[in-house]
Amino acid sequence: MKVEYVKPFAQASYDCLSEVLDRPITRGSLSVRKQPVEVSGVAVIIGLIGDIEGRVLFDMSEDTAIKIAAAMNYEEFNEFHQLARATISELGNIIAGRAVSELNNLGYKFNITPPILIRGNNMESTDIVVETLVIPLISDLGTFNINLALKNGKKSG
Amino acid sequence: MSTETAQGDVQIMKKDGSPFKFLIVDDSEFIRKSLKMVVKLLNGVVVGEAQDGVEAVEQYKKLRPDIVTCDIVMPNMTGVEVVKHLKGLDPQVKIIMVSSLGYQDMVKEAVGSGAKYFIVKPFKPMEAAQKIQTVIKKLYQL
Repeated sequence: MKVEYVKPFAQASYDCLSEVLDRPITRGSLSVRKQPVEVSGVAVIIGLIGDIEGRVLFDMSEDTAIKIAAAMNYEEFNEFHQLARATISELGNIIAGRAVSELNNLGYKFNITPPILIRGNNMESTDIVVETLVIPLISDLGTFNINLALKNGKKSG
Repeated sequence: MSTETAQGDVQIMKKDGSPFKFLIVDDSEFIRKSLKMVVKLLNGVVVGEAQDGVEAVEQYKKLRPDIVTCDIVMPNMTGVEVVKHLKGLDPQVKIIMVSSLGYQDMVKEAVGSGAKYFIVKPFKPMEAAQKIQTVIKKLYQL
C-alpha cells in the first residue's frame, strides 16, 4: 500500500475528528495486520474504485460511537439509535470526501461508494488481495480506528 | 434587518420583519438536524425537508421557501440536477449547496447552474449560521 494513499485518510480523519469533537486527538501507533482483522462494535465501510481500489473502514466500540455521535449533535445519547447511526455514517462520508479531495489533488481519479454502517460483536474483516493498515486515533471518548485496505487500481487515461 | 450581538447571535429577518423560510435537502438525518440548528440560530423557519432531489423539487413547488440548502450527492437526483430543476421552476430561487470536500467538480457544476454559495461539511452551527447570514444579506440586500 503506497504511503501516498494512507496519508490523506489519516490526515482527513484526524482533522475531521478534531473539528467535530473539539477536543485533543492523539495518533496511536500504526500497525499492519494479517487477515482477518478484528473490527470493533461499529464500523463504517466505504469502497473505492478507480486509480485506487479497495476500502476504508472506520471502526470503534459502540460506546465510543454513541459518545462521538452525542458530541457531534451537542446532546446526551444513551443508545445507538437511528440519529446516532446517521451521524457516524455521515462522519465516515465526510472524512472520505476530504481524503478524496487530497488524492484528487495528487492526480488520482476514483469514485467512492456511499457509507455502509455495520454493528455487531466479534466482527472480522477480510481482504483477500491487500494488507490492512490500522491507524488508531485516541480521545477521551475512546479509540477511532482507520482501517485501510487499498491498492493500485486501473489508472485512468 | 440583522442582529449580531457581542455573543455572536446571527438572527436575520426580512425587511417586513418576518422570518426567512428554509427548505433543507439532504439524505443525511444528521445533516438535516444540524441545519435545523443553524436555521434556529438565524431565527428562521424550516418549512420543509427532503431526503432526495425528487422530493426536493416537489417540496419546492408546494412551499416556495426563501432559501434552499441542498446536498451535492444524493440518491435519485444529484444536487446539481436539483439546482437545474429549481432554476427551471423559478430563476430567482436562492440555493446554498452543502458539500463535503472531494466533490469539487460537482460543486463547480452546481455553481455554474446557478447555486452561488456553498458550505463545507463538517460545519459548526454558529459558523454556518454566520456564513448563511452573510449570504442572505447579499441575496436580499439587507
